[in-house]
Amino acid sequence: MWLFLLKRSALAVLIVILAVTALYLMIHAIPGDPASIILGPRATDEMKAALYIKMGLDQPVYMQLLSFFGNILSGDLGYDVFSQRDVSDIVFEQLPWTLALIFCAIVWAALVGIPLGCYSAIYANTWFDTITGIISVGTIAIPSFVVAIYSLLIFSVTLHWLPAIGAGERGDVLSQLEHLILPAFAVGLGWVGYISRLVRSSMLEVLGSNHIRTAKAFGLPSRWITFRYALRLAILPTVTLLGVGIGYLLSASLFAEIVFARPGIGKLIFDAVSTRNYPVVMGAVLVTTALFVIATTLADFINALLDPRMRAKR
Amino acid sequence: MTIQTTHSSNSPAAQQPAMPVENIIAIKDLSVKFEVAGGFVFGLKNVNVSVPRGQIIGIVGESGSGKSTLIYTLTQLMAENAVIDSGSADMDGEDLLAKTPRQMQQLLGQDIAMIFQDPMTSLNPVFSIEKQMTDIQYRLNLSYSEKKQRAIDALTRVGIPNPELRLPRFPHEFSGGQLQRICIAMALMAKPKLLIADEPTTALDASLEVQIIDLLKELQAEIGCSMIFVSHHLGVVGTLCDYTVVMYHGDVVEQGPTVDVFNNPQHAYTQRLLACDPARIKEPTKRLPTMSSEGTEHIAIPSGSYLASQLTEQNTHPENSAEHLLDIDELRIRFPIQSKLAALISGNKDPYLHAVKGVSLTLDAGETLAIVGESGSGKTTVAQAILGLNQPWSGKIHFQGKELLSMEAKARGKTRRDIAMMFQDPISSLSPRMKIADLITEPLVIHGLPFDSRAQEAKRLLGMVGLPLDFANRYPHQLSGGQARRVGVARALAQSPKLIVADEPTAGLDVSVQGEILNLLNQLQEDLNIAILIITHNLNIVRHVADRTLIMNMGDIVEQGETQGIFANPQHSYTKQLLAANVHPDPV
Repeated sequence: MWLFLLKRSALAVLIVILAVTALYLMIHAIPGDPASIILGPRATDEMKAALYIKMGLDQPVYMQLLSFFGNILSGDLGYDVFSQRDVSDIVFEQLPWTLALIFCAIVWAALVGIPLGCYSAIYANTWFDTITGIISVGTIAIPSFVVAIYSLLIFSVTLHWLPAIGAGERGDVLSQLEHLILPAFAVGLGWVGYISRLVRSSMLEVLGSNHIRTAKAFGLPSRWITFRYALRLAILPTVTLLGVGIGYLLSASLFAEIVFARPGIGKLIFDAVSTRNYPVVMGAVLVTTALFVIATTLADFINALLDPRMRAKR
Repeated sequence: MTIQTTHSSNSPAAQQPAMPVENIIAIKDLSVKFEVAGGFVFGLKNVNVSVPRGQIIGIVGESGSGKSTLIYTLTQLMAENAVIDSGSADMDGEDLLAKTPRQMQQLLGQDIAMIFQDPMTSLNPVFSIEKQMTDIQYRLNLSYSEKKQRAIDALTRVGIPNPELRLPRFPHEFSGGQLQRICIAMALMAKPKLLIADEPTTALDASLEVQIIDLLKELQAEIGCSMIFVSHHLGVVGTLCDYTVVMYHGDVVEQGPTVDVFNNPQHAYTQRLLACDPARIKEPTKRLPTMSSEGTEHIAIPSGSYLASQLTEQNTHPENSAEHLLDIDELRIRFPIQSKLAALISGNKDPYLHAVKGVSLTLDAGETLAIVGESGSGKTTVAQAILGLNQPWSGKIHFQGKELLSMEAKARGKTRRDIAMMFQDPISSLSPRMKIADLITEPLVIHGLPFDSRAQEAKRLLGMVGLPLDFANRYPHQLSGGQARRVGVARALAQSPKLIVADEPTAGLDVSVQGEILNLLNQLQEDLNIAILIITHNLNIVRHVADRTLIMNMGDIVEQGETQGIFANPQHSYTKQLLAANVHPDPV
């Protein structure tokens, strides 16, 4: 088990390093001279040269890359000349909003989707299963920004039940939670369908397997068989999906953040790209990538915890 | 005795005089049907069977005979489309079929315990043995440590070494034989009145089979329970059971004391079933009797076909007689069990599993060689090496005079055309999304058969293996085990190979279908002068198909020679042990 953890973590670090290197090289392959962009058209050659040295652009690329990694390790993601602030400050200011949104969306989707999938499998091919199937496929098919716009129209504009835009007053948790409901609903709805479909199919497979028959033959209570014996196995693919899902939502929550005018990583990247603010794009994407790898690695760990065969493999 | 044949009128001698034996289960007039698209299919037809208290009753029959339907109906574990038409099954005066699922759940694991066919999949893979063995005691008012102690005691009883240490382990950390022992221990803990065993030894090696049967017999006597033992293996039923019930197409055709049924079968089906068992045929023969036909029909090779032209070509150019078709010299195969780095750190100088330790053999055209051994003996590894599916460590494989191992990949691909493989599990080795016609002509297409002649070739191959032509449009899941095996043969024949490697060609087949497949192979060999290499652990079939036999154990050849000689006069102690472990075909 420990060897598995170690290997998997090492792999995760390697993936992050590779991704960041690729990202760095890609940014530098973009045509145009960063110094002239930053200093504007009226900059003199001396000013440009000074900035070059200040930004380390006079060094060879591998040296730049090395110092870039060194800076990351010391928590320095760069400096944003537009707002005159550290990129890490900007990114970590926005990150909690997105994380809260993703967390709430995934949790509600899992809490609804997993039982829905279980019962669809138990009552397979009944009216309950058919209706859940139609609804699930429906929620997968509707883009999350459509859900966002309509839920905004219905629940905020027409019914006035929930606040329309923003993320709530600073320091007021209740108001922040209130502002979280609609975006989390919009982002999570499609995942309800995904999760319930996946749980249903893996649950059907597990329920038909020999060891479930053994459990029945020893007279174990049927709830016990379904929710302890079968679900433990059937949940494994879903755990992987959730890991990937969290990583995916880091950027996909952008739509909800725009519609509801919420702060967040997605909105930050969007704004930074529109203003060609490369240091911020770089820092935000770096953090997102790291979180993506962490989420999928965590999912692997949970899977290994749930499935002894996985631990034995490596 | 209480076993009566009430339904089957054509087995009058099975009507035994009544003896005062109390029944634990009396099944009366049980009919079960399955709901399928467009109607019903009968699973059981008016079955009457009684299980005397404290006795072992064996149910034999081919797959599809309804023997599993019977036991799963008793325990209400049958498929969802099964409908009980009529009948009753009284256990201690209460009708099992009338019980609600809740009442049934109370009986299961207490009064009734079951052991299943495949131990590898019968236990939950994500829970430790400890959890599974303590969970099934949930009804007992005991502390956790007491439940654990009961589990340890049960494991000790069934012969699991170091049960305290093994208990927290997971199913994948045990061998098949050990898992079946654990399943038996679980059933034993319940101290049931009735133990139902569904083909408990089918998935196991011959020597394990004997051990498990002995264990079951001992435990049954110890607990004093009754037992229903379902098997298609006649020898096992003959050895173990007091009474035998023979089922055919949902009917009980014959039942009575095992000795009577085996020595004096009344019903024509029972007689044929016994006659088909290769273990019971004393004289080696290449034409095994089958259920379907008196003699075996000879399948003519259509003249003018691709195969016929190949055939004449082969016959006009006889192979150099001094040269063997296949000649394996000192083949060694090893698999790393540790990474090189880990081995270096731990100082392990030999971090390999030596699967094959210097095997030499020869095989000529028109000859059948059987490699016999238990699982783990390296027999399949040798076959894979011939096909180029693994990388031998040293040794030479000459095929038609060419050395395969030193050959370049491209040249080797050409040689591969002359070697065909028949895989062990016929249904899962066929792609479920392809039609039979496409499956059997696939090797030809890979090796450059024009697309339009595909249908014609498919017809030819189906004809050769005795399958109706409309099978071309079927999918693998629509085939029975025997039919799928025939498709496997057809696919092997597609490239008109000179050598067929057949991995367990009869595993999981009923005795009569076994006979059909072996006859087919024998006959094709006669017609086409093919060499056949059979990999098997089933000694009974080896006697009838193989010219020569080679016994492997732990990667070594322990004995090889003419099949008859080995059977008549085994030299090596392992061969003797293997022959002794082969279940005796007649009741003792």
